Amino acid sequence: MALDLLSECLEKRSEGYVEMRHHRRETLTITVKDGKMEAVNHGVIEGACARVLVEGSWGFASTTNLNRNAIMKIMEDAASLGKVSKPMKKRIVKLPPLQVFEDTYETPMRKDPNKADMEELVSLVIDVDKKVRSFSPKIVSDNISLRIIDDKLNFVSSEGSRISQRIVRCYGVVTVVAKEKGSLASAYESIGAQSGLEILEETPLENAGLTAAERADKLASAKAAPGGVFPVIIENRIVGLLAHEAVGHCAEADLVYGGSFLADKIGERVASEKVTLVDDGTFSRGFGTMRYDDEGVPTQKTIIIEKGICKSFLHSRETAKQFNVEPTGNCRAWTFEYDPIIRMRNTYIEPGDHSLEELAETIKDGFFLKGGLSGQADFTGEFMFGTQEAVKIRNGELSESYRGVTISGNAFEVLENVDAVGKDFIMRIGMCGKEQINYVGMGGASLRTKLLLGGM
Amino acid sequence: MSLREYAEYAVKKCEKLGASEAEAYGQKQRVIEIVLERGEIQSERTKTHLGISIRLIKDKKLGFAYNSTLSKESIEKACEAAFALAKASIPNPDWISLPSMSKPSSSPEGIFDQRIAELKSAEILDFAIQAANAVKEKDKKAFVDDGKFSALINETSIVNSHGISCAEKTTLFSCYLICMAKEMGKASSMVFEYEITRSIEKFSPTKLGEKAAEKAVASINPKSVESFEGQVLLDCDPAAVILAYPIMNSINADNVQRNRSLWAGRIGEEVANPTLSVVDDGLLPRGVYSSAFDDEGVPRQRTEILAKGVLKGYLHNSFTSNKENKASTGNAYRQNYATLPTVMASNMIIQPGNKKLEEIISEIDKGIIIRRFSGNVRPESGEFSGIAKQASLIENGEIKHALKETMIAGNTFEALKNIITIGSEIRATLYRAYVPPILVDKIKIVSK
Repeated sequence: MALDLLSECLEKRSEGYVEMRHHRRETLTITVKDGKMEAVNHGVIEGACARVLVEGSWGFASTTNLNRNAIMKIMEDAASLGKVSKPMKKRIVKLPPLQVFEDTYETPMRKDPNKADMEELVSLVIDVDKKVRSFSPKIVSDNISLRIIDDKLNFVSSEGSRISQRIVRCYGVVTVVAKEKGSLASAYESIGAQSGLEILEETPLENAGLTAAERADKLASAKAAPGGVFPVIIENRIVGLLAHEAVGHCAEADLVYGGSFLADKIGERVASEKVTLVDDGTFSRGFGTMRYDDEGVPTQKTIIIEKGICKSFLHSRETAKQFNVEPTGNCRAWTFEYDPIIRMRNTYIEPGDHSLEELAETIKDGFFLKGGLSGQADFTGEFMFGTQEAVKIRNGELSESYRGVTISGNAFEVLENVDAVGKDFIMRIGMCGKEQINYVGMGGASLRTKLLLGGM
Repeated sequence: MSLREYAEYAVKKCEKLGASEAEAYGQKQRVIEIVLERGEIQSERTKTHLGISIRLIKDKKLGFAYNSTLSKESIEKACEAAFALAKASIPNPDWISLPSMSKPSSSPEGIFDQRIAELKSAEILDFAIQAANAVKEKDKKAFVDDGKFSALINETSIVNSHGISCAEKTTLFSCYLICMAKEMGKASSMVFEYEITRSIEKFSPTKLGEKAAEKAVASINPKSVESFEGQVLLDCDPAAVILAYPIMNSINADNVQRNRSLWAGRIGEEVANPTLSVVDDGLLPRGVYSSAFDDEGVPRQRTEILAKGVLKGYLHNSFTSNKENKASTGNAYRQNYATLPTVMASNMIIQPGNKKLEEIISEIDKGIIIRRFSGNVRPESGEFSGIAKQASLIENGEIKHALKETMIAGNTFEALKNIITIGSEIRATLYRAYVPPILVDKIKIVSK
């Protein structure tokens, strides 16, 4: 219905290239804190936006009013904004030709959350909370949260595309605080995927809860890891953060254009030959998977680094034209209130063939880094992200645990120093903030490298 | 219908459905945004963010629903959804009540600026261009990567079944530039410079651009320094992240009650250096986070947090204050209409000292200054570690050179005891805190 309304309005357009999106997002959140139930939370946001390219200049407008007049108005507003701002722009935007698509896509799922039994979900969360708090007497507080996001996205363009997508994401987040002798330690874990409720059976929220509880309990009396450069194994659960923060951002064509460290590096060696790094918009169940991006471009598996050689960047239609390549389907918007920008989808390092024991074997004095916290990157390649736990490795053996610290390095050097990749591949969920936030997948297998720990 | 009338309609509807109590929170927000990318305008947006949320309680069971459409029909649906969700939930034994109407509240001075409300996108665009030009004019080596300039008008209305019925309109102007400098093909680290203000009377886009360019150029040609433990001068922003954020977390009554605060049960104790005094002032004139009432409709107030290093009080919303049978300090907070209220500082102010930044630098024998912190702070335990951005080495009272690949690490609660000097140049940060530069001792400086 929304699609028809957009199409009807589109027919009355006066000029330029026009694309319109309609977006309805339903969010259900169930949170238990220390055994007490927060308000069960369900909400709907819905609106539409128009992006118009007139004489090489974009204009954008959005509305939460879904009647014909409001839609016509945002189309006109977007066109006039494009014209008004044109004299201020040096760049003339040109779009490469794009095949016209009429298609629908829906997250493949067995248990549609539409048919969820609310009381069952409430008791699931309550149950996880009980198990987490009874894990050990040191656990003093927890938050257990379950969230289901159901996005309906409609796209029409003046080139003739008509695309409807329904993307369902289901995830859970746990934080646990443990206390020992006046010292507090917190831990965080998550599960989830682009999936129906079946993901809660396959990777139970309880597992994330117990992993976090065990970590908080262990770290309550631990000291922070020391600072300095060490050989490390980065756990499979957080290798995706390395792929995303250290490399992914520098491969986004808008940043490449700004002079990121990967600029002019296509065809050159930028990492050890053990490293193949991919951003895949089609990854089964990936948090960042869509069949089409928010410019109506089909997503694809984009190889950024293949065996150490830089192969490709991540593109919108606009940057693809500038770089004279095919668009990669990386242009995404957080909601109808935003115009799409170049974003990663599911970014990962391909697995190798080492077991964890084999990775540790050659490390005399180093750390096994576990559990991720937030990260950032400069496009010079300097990146950082936080870790929750650093397990000492002595002569190839895992030993005592320290509290994790922030790690940093130059992406080039860190990837050059990767000398072995594990076989324990895993894909995780993530959020990325780049002017606007979005859901992304981050994945990989445990790997061995060398980097700077900002410790005590 | 006005926002308040919609909210009143919602509360009545909930009562008809059989709610024990209910609250409606309506919000209308208009933002005009200019986004810069690669030094030129990338996009401009006018966003109208509006919606209403319903918090409904039935026999200590809580339901919450929201909708981005303001109409009687969509509000009725949201009320019904909230009622159904409450029924599906289980009782929260800690629930006492939504807040009641106490004293009337009045808006603090200077939180609505007609000039911001009337800004047109062409004028905001002009600010952006002035700022970008100032970067280039200040130094040819500096350039803008991206930035955002936004003017916001926000209207909030809160109505509940215990007589609270209030509405308020505020404006806010905020902008940032991400800037770099290049010399001989080598790029500096990324500089983030910003301004956030209730009034554009004194806003100068040229100054913003110049400050960004200065910082970028100052971080060219960085050199390494040997690792050491010692004095770190935190400029306002890193001081907000490293020092103010864990304080905010520790005085949050929800964290105190839930054993997530190291300052639980320590009122009256000296927890920081006697140079440190902190208040939370929700009524601060022209305060970026000031308002007449908090996000549950409770009047804002000024609350003493630390006086000369001694812990004086915690911040409450109605839920945490009810648990202790106390009055709320007016610190209920929602990110927007679609979120449940939590406890949050309003304008947390670290009381400034009387020394300017240059004077503090002149008194440092050996240390570093950091202007941005890219790292992680664990608010419960106070551990922090991360990259010192736009950092420079200070020796014998003078800035020597920019630093590369330098990290700092420490513990906030230790650092609060090791404060040497608090500067005079306080600024509104993006972290709900007004913070001056702060010199602390015994921080680990870690280098390759």
